[in-house]
Amino acid sequence: MSAFELISLANQVLFIGLFVAVLRHALRQPSRANLNTVLLFGSIATAVVTSRIAGSLAPGQSWVTSVLIVLLSVTPLAMLRLVDDFSGTPRWVQWAGTTAFVLVSALVILAFDPLAEVVELALIGWFGSIGGYAAFAFARAAARSHGITRRRMTAVAIGAVTFIAAIVVLLVGLLLQLPGLSAVGQVMALTAVIAFFLGFAPPTWVRRAWREPHLRRFLQGSIHLTGLTDERRAIVELEHAAAAALGASGASIGVADPENATLRYVDAAGAWVEAPEDAYVAGRAFIQQRRVVALDAVASDPEHADDYRQAGASMVIAAPITLGEKRLGVLTVYASRAPIFVEDDLWLLELLANQTAVILDARKLAAEASGLRSREDAARLKEEFLSAAAHDLRTPLTVVLGQAELLERRVARDPSAPVDPAGVSRIAREARRLRDLVSELLDAQRLEQGATVMDRTAADLRDVVGAVRQRFRDQGLDLKVIAPEEPIVSSVDTMRIEQVLDNLIENALKYTSDGKLPEVHLRHEGAEAHLAVVDHGVGIPEGEREQIFERFYRASNVQSITDTGMGLGLYICRAVVDAHGGRIWADATPGGGSTFSVVLPAPAPVPPVAAPASASASERWPVSGTEAPADA
Amino acid sequence: MPRTCVLVVDDEPDIRATVAAMLEIEGYAVAEAANGAEGLLAVDEHAPDVILLDMRMPVLDGWGFAAEMRRLGHRTPIVVMTAARDAAHWASEISASAYVSKPFGFDDLISAVERVTPTA
Repeated sequence: MSAFELISLANQVLFIGLFVAVLRHALRQPSRANLNTVLLFGSIATAVVTSRIAGSLAPGQSWVTSVLIVLLSVTPLAMLRLVDDFSGTPRWVQWAGTTAFVLVSALVILAFDPLAEVVELALIGWFGSIGGYAAFAFARAAARSHGITRRRMTAVAIGAVTFIAAIVVLLVGLLLQLPGLSAVGQVMALTAVIAFFLGFAPPTWVRRAWREPHLRRFLQGSIHLTGLTDERRAIVELEHAAAAALGASGASIGVADPENATLRYVDAAGAWVEAPEDAYVAGRAFIQQRRVVALDAVASDPEHADDYRQAGASMVIAAPITLGEKRLGVLTVYASRAPIFVEDDLWLLELLANQTAVILDARKLAAEASGLRSREDAARLKEEFLSAAAHDLRTPLTVVLGQAELLERRVARDPSAPVDPAGVSRIAREARRLRDLVSELLDAQRLEQGATVMDRTAADLRDVVGAVRQRFRDQGLDLKVIAPEEPIVSSVDTMRIEQVLDNLIENALKYTSDGKLPEVHLRHEGAEAHLAVVDHGVGIPEGEREQIFERFYRASNVQSITDTGMGLGLYICRAVVDAHGGRIWADATPGGGSTFSVVLPAPAPVPPVAAPASASASERWPVSGTEAPADA
Repeated sequence: MPRTCVLVVDDEPDIRATVAAMLEIEGYAVAEAANGAEGLLAVDEHAPDVILLDMRMPVLDGWGFAAEMRRLGHRTPIVVMTAARDAAHWASEISASAYVSKPFGFDDLISAVERVTPTA
């Protein structure tokens, strides 16, 4: 057997083997593309078998050659149909291809001499044009696809190009009587069948090798996500990574919430949306704990047709994200058209779902661990608070108890002795302090339970500031207030906002040692009222300016000072401001000290019609240093 | 015989006044100081027989005051006076003679002072 015969035999065996492989596959999954693949290799295999049988039974018969040529002429048509399945072709191309096939076949059969020059020229034209078009279309589809599909598509394109070229070379060889070209054609056909094998029926080890870089890229892109605190961002990034690895137009991850029997998704705006755990194709995969393919999502889940259309998802495949017994969620990818090699995509999808399971589980563990830490922190804070509260309550109680027993004794020894006025006022003062501490505690508890009564009315914030200022003036503290001439009206619980301001000023006084009084600034900015208490006291370490608003928190640089209250004041302030839809924060005052800023919603100023009212307001307004609002 | 002199060191003015009034009605002479540093000056000035000492104070706290007293060689008995739960622990930390936990009553205070007053 010559080398030429050996190559020819190998070609025949490989084409028949390939036919068997695609036939088995099509029987398992009878899609249009799979049937057209069977048509492509079926016609070649039949031609091979026919030529073998005819070669031994009726050698040299011209009708055998005609049959062979007609069988082989099916291949460009089958390729054209496959191109349509994979990436779509215009209808007229399909129509023209079919017509041309009928004409060429008729010519071959009616010409009686299949090797007549006119027939050969027609065949070269047929294979060259339609086959060339199909090969080009495969190459274009390869360039547009991703992942394993791209590699398989590339192999298909190479197979198509070399196969068509082989046929044309063989025909030209016959036409020009050049037997040497026949050997070239056989070698090309061998290249074609190997490429077709890789494209249409790749062995497992090849697939594994192709899959590996995608998986690695997915892992590299997603490994940092275990540490990402924002769960929604982590989910979105995982979705992007999965879609990129699969070359799908999009992906979504549903996170299982077993308590509510729902799957949570992140919508386009980045917000959580809940869906029943059996909704969508994803829900089916989650409930049945197996991968689900919906080549036409709208038809298979008409209830959510609009959602699929909106996402541009005509084809949906979903795989459960499960780690052992833990059903963590479901991974779905969708594309605008059916995947060419769906089984590879499913394979990769399952792998990605498994990896996602590992990542989600790690995230969950990390979240649980940090939850445990914050519970420990909370317990520690509570412990510290209790001891601080006990300390704070005991001090005034000592005075009340001591003074009361003292009075008791004095009266017992000498009932006619005059009452000690200083002692009595000490009792009263410390009893009031006790009352304030207790109400601070109760306030904090009420706020904690969200039961703060918010009796909001439209009020001029200048009046609120004025009332607080008057209280401090009564204690001999004349605070400087900077406020605008016009009223700043906001819908507030006046009592609560006064309490906030009181608290901030008390704090400022407490942590200012050299007697410099804090200032209160009020100004209108757009639709907001800006209220600031500026002090020149000890200041707050930069890293603690957020934490000071937490319950029971006391800044590290004031902890040694005994009279610090309970660490609830700022916590209460923030809760009140939050309830008003405002913001509160602390900055450093230039030159030392702290500035506490409160922003409250306040619609644009009243139009000039209200001028008389604003005049009377400024009469009521007990401001010593009225100034234009500061720019800074 | 001169009256026993007690120095009250506490940063709370009302506590100082109350404790002073309790001691005075029982016949003690009383000196006051608002923190550890003032307390050390008062020790020099009044040479008290007993010191009632709050622990958490600004400037110089109870621990600082006790350490400084030891360094200066003073052996005046100290009664720790605190609202904290670890009163006993703190008292032993600075080798105090006794402690009273706030809120303390009249008898608690007087008996603690009597107990530690040196019998001369």
